[in-house]
Amino acid sequence: MSYLVTFLWSWLAGAALIGLGMGWISVVQHDTAMSRAAVQRAAAVVAALIAASLTRIVPGRFGYWLDLGLLLFAAYLVGCAIGSWLRDRFMARQARPS
Amino acid sequence: MRGLFRWSRKWWPGLIPLVLLWGLAAWFSTVPIEQDLARGVGDAIKSDVLDKTRIAVVGRDVTFAADAFSEEGRRSAVTSVETVPGVRMVHDRTRLVAEARPYVWTAERDVVRVTLGGGVPLPAIKARIMEAARGDLGGVEVVDRMAYARGAPQRFDNVVLLLLDQVARLKEGRITLSDRAVSLAGMARELGGREAIAAALRNLPEGFSVAENAIAAPPYVFQANKDPVGGALTLTGYVPDNTAHAVLAAAAQRKFFDEKVVDNLKASIGAPRGFAEAVIQALGALSRLSTGSLVVSDREVRLSGDALYNGAARQIREELPKELPRGWTVKAEVSVKPAAAPVDASVCQRLFTEILGKGKVRFESGSATINSDSAGLLDRLAETALRCPTASVEIAGHTDNQGDDATNQTLSEKRAQAVVDFFVRAGLPADRFKAVGYGSTQPVADNATEQGRAKNRRIDFLVR
Repeated sequence: MSYLVTFLWSWLAGAALIGLGMGWISVVQHDTAMSRAAVQRAAAVVAALIAASLTRIVPGRFGYWLDLGLLLFAAYLVGCAIGSWLRDRFMARQARPS
Repeated sequence: MRGLFRWSRKWWPGLIPLVLLWGLAAWFSTVPIEQDLARGVGDAIKSDVLDKTRIAVVGRDVTFAADAFSEEGRRSAVTSVETVPGVRMVHDRTRLVAEARPYVWTAERDVVRVTLGGGVPLPAIKARIMEAARGDLGGVEVVDRMAYARGAPQRFDNVVLLLLDQVARLKEGRITLSDRAVSLAGMARELGGREAIAAALRNLPEGFSVAENAIAAPPYVFQANKDPVGGALTLTGYVPDNTAHAVLAAAAQRKFFDEKVVDNLKASIGAPRGFAEAVIQALGALSRLSTGSLVVSDREVRLSGDALYNGAARQIREELPKELPRGWTVKAEVSVKPAAAPVDASVCQRLFTEILGKGKVRFESGSATINSDSAGLLDRLAETALRCPTASVEIAGHTDNQGDDATNQTLSEKRAQAVVDFFVRAGLPADRFKAVGYGSTQPVADNATEQGRAKNRRIDFLVR
């Protein structure tokens, strides 16, 4: 894992930046939320992909690309979380003086 | 936390650029990561002793194939690959080097190259063998056909290095080490090489043995060339030792009274039994030729040239095989030189005197038996007698003054008669020759000295 992070840090940073932007926007966006059922289905798909990655059943380059995608997705999620949290804090600070 | 869950339901639009990023990352990072992992795997197994190593990286999966020299080494190499950072899976295609039974190693030498074949247990040993081969066999091409195999006997490398030294002593041949048995066949490069190889093989480590040593020695060659134009007898080739050298050189001096002896002989072991005796007899036969060459190769005597007259040629052909030691063979190609022009009696006398001025007819001490060293001289005298067929010749025997007169008289008569008998056997008519003995009555030098007495013991030829 640490090897992959070291080797792919620039790509992961890119994913995190995309996530940061998306998280920043998502706090103030309306009418784009996924339904609970869709979130559950998406979570199930992601869990299945993680399981496939951990069990190493996907061979060769496809296996690498799966690992790569999951890492980028994780970096994206982290970026989203940080972006949303920062926007939330930013909005809270702006609301307080008024 | 609840806010985070609420916001996360709105994060999905970002997946579109994320997928694009994923595609770009896959496109640009796959080959570099494969190369980086291959480099890492290569570095990791650098210290492992392996053969035929092949590394293929697809994604982060490594297919590792290699021949290992022990199970422990094989496991260690696989573990080294598995622990390389970034490697996801290792497809283990390693195997052990095949075990050889029997364990055979060979070295084959021909004129231009040495080919090493068979099994060798480790790369380090192979490298040592090749280095030693190139060092020992300077200038000769060394071809490596050795293959790795397990199961070599202990001290295999020491034995092989010893055998390589013996390859250097071969002109051509083959050395085989099969388990702990050494077999050798071929021809030694030099005289004495066969013996040197046999001596070296006595230093084989304990447990190793010589199954067969069929190394042949090169022919033991002695050559003598009689050149009447240059007035020289040239001796080349080998003699067994300095003693035999001295004996042969002295014999050549005695037998070739009219030639300068050019001695190019070298001492070397490996002479066949009876060598000196055979060479002395063969030199005696050569001394009777006007021109000719003698080649003694192992136990074969080849004599070729021109005898001075028919009788001499016949005698050489008939007598030389009988004079050689048992087991020796003769190939005599003796022809007869064209007869010289006839001369009158006075010229004949001058020729006799000239010949006897260069050499004298020798007899065994105290007897009338002609010494074999005088055969060449007597042939020259007989040839001269043939040139004046109408002249009668008195053959006079003389002694020194040692002993009583009656004995000396008898001895001188018998010695003169022995010379006449020689001529008759050679085919000259007996009635042309008259044997006369003068005992010690006609000295030509002072009998008080050994030198003078030697001069007085003589045979004179007087043409009537």
